[in-house]
Amino acid sequence: MSRRLEAHGVALELPTGWDAEFSGTAPTAAQSLGGEAFQPLVVHAGNFRLPADRGDFGSGAVEAMGTRGVLVCLLEYEPASAETALFKRSRLPRSVGVNDVAPHTLQRTIAGQAGTQIFCSEAGRAFCLYVVIGSYKRRATLVPVANQVISSIQVA
Amino acid sequence: MTVLVIILTLVIALLAVLVAGLLRSHAEVLRALHELGVSLDPDDADAAFTAGDTTIDLRTRPGVAAPRATVGGPSDVVGLTPDGGLVNVGVTGTDGLTLLAFLSSGCLTCAGFWDAFADPDQRSVEGLDAELIIVAKGPEMESEASIRALAPKGVRTVMSSDAWLDYNVPVSPYFILVQGASDNADDNGVADVAGIADVGGRIVGEGAASSWEQVANLLKQAVADAGIARGRASAKRRTGLGKSGAERRADTDEELRNAGIEPGDPSLYPTGHPDAPGAST
Repeated sequence: MSRRLEAHGVALELPTGWDAEFSGTAPTAAQSLGGEAFQPLVVHAGNFRLPADRGDFGSGAVEAMGTRGVLVCLLEYEPASAETALFKRSRLPRSVGVNDVAPHTLQRTIAGQAGTQIFCSEAGRAFCLYVVIGSYKRRATLVPVANQVISSIQVA
Repeated sequence: MTVLVIILTLVIALLAVLVAGLLRSHAEVLRALHELGVSLDPDDADAAFTAGDTTIDLRTRPGVAAPRATVGGPSDVVGLTPDGGLVNVGVTGTDGLTLLAFLSSGCLTCAGFWDAFADPDQRSVEGLDAELIIVAKGPEMESEASIRALAPKGVRTVMSSDAWLDYNVPVSPYFILVQGASDNADDNGVADVAGIADVGGRIVGEGAASSWEQVANLLKQAVADAGIARGRASAKRRTGLGKSGAERRADTDEELRNAGIEPGDPSLYPTGHPDAPGAST
């Protein structure tokens, strides 16, 4: 059982019991051309109760995450970034490998946790997919849980 | 003979008093029923309930919110943040309690709750480990600017008219306490790794009140009635079980300071310990 959430050209299927929040907006045409600043889209989805105050990369949430927690963050960057080398990967991954997560990949290292960060572009939009799992030891179980959401992401 | 007549007279008088009392009691019962809209006269068209009916149309006093009509089980809250972001708050599939506070920007009674929730100390309820979620109606019925101004920092506020309909909220302010369904959550309330083990959940308490203190009392009573133990996270805080070393050290330092024992206090060292202040090295 899942619920489809869609906003600003990004959609995902959220399993029941998950929390999710979309903030910011998709860039307008003028913003895409670099003429205007915009509030970038940030999507947080977790299988735990997301706290009210969170950083873009999940600070505030990862501290509240238990050892079975999974947090999926999708952050959008300026459209012009899509042309840069960092975002040369042409499509968002629809899954993350168990061996892709590592403790040292975290924005903020928390003992026991692990994560992965992937920069890419899709539909002319630049994104960073950032995934955190509550336990590196349980990565074989937790990464497939994250993939439930990652595999459902659609970008228009 | 005279004595017998006197005794019989007294007995008759006593019985007369008893009968009069019964008649009066009966009249009071009938009057009370009439005030409730119940009539024993089957031809009384004005009565809400007459003899032979199988249902009673109970009503609350004017100004008192009617009980919420029973609807389906609890559901997740989907809506918009006051900043316009899309939000889905999982209520049913997570372990632990969620307190849904249905508030509006315009009602006078709600103002006290918005104020109370702005203070982290006020909004916590002793003995109750519940996540507070404020639910206002959607932007089509509420002013986003007003809700944005009222939304307390540190509390998730969702604008969702659908949630008001899903929960059949009769009035604002109104509070619904939901227990999520999961038997295998970890210490932080993660239901299970998939988050979809048991998504039923149940409503363990609800009601309207004019002040946060009243709501807090109702909630504590509801939790006690439902037999819900304090959450494990709370128990951990209470007992110290499962705390990290740093947390335990901080707790110990705090306790010692409260007892007037500062770092370097001689009482912290065994007699003659070389690290004790003043000890010869």
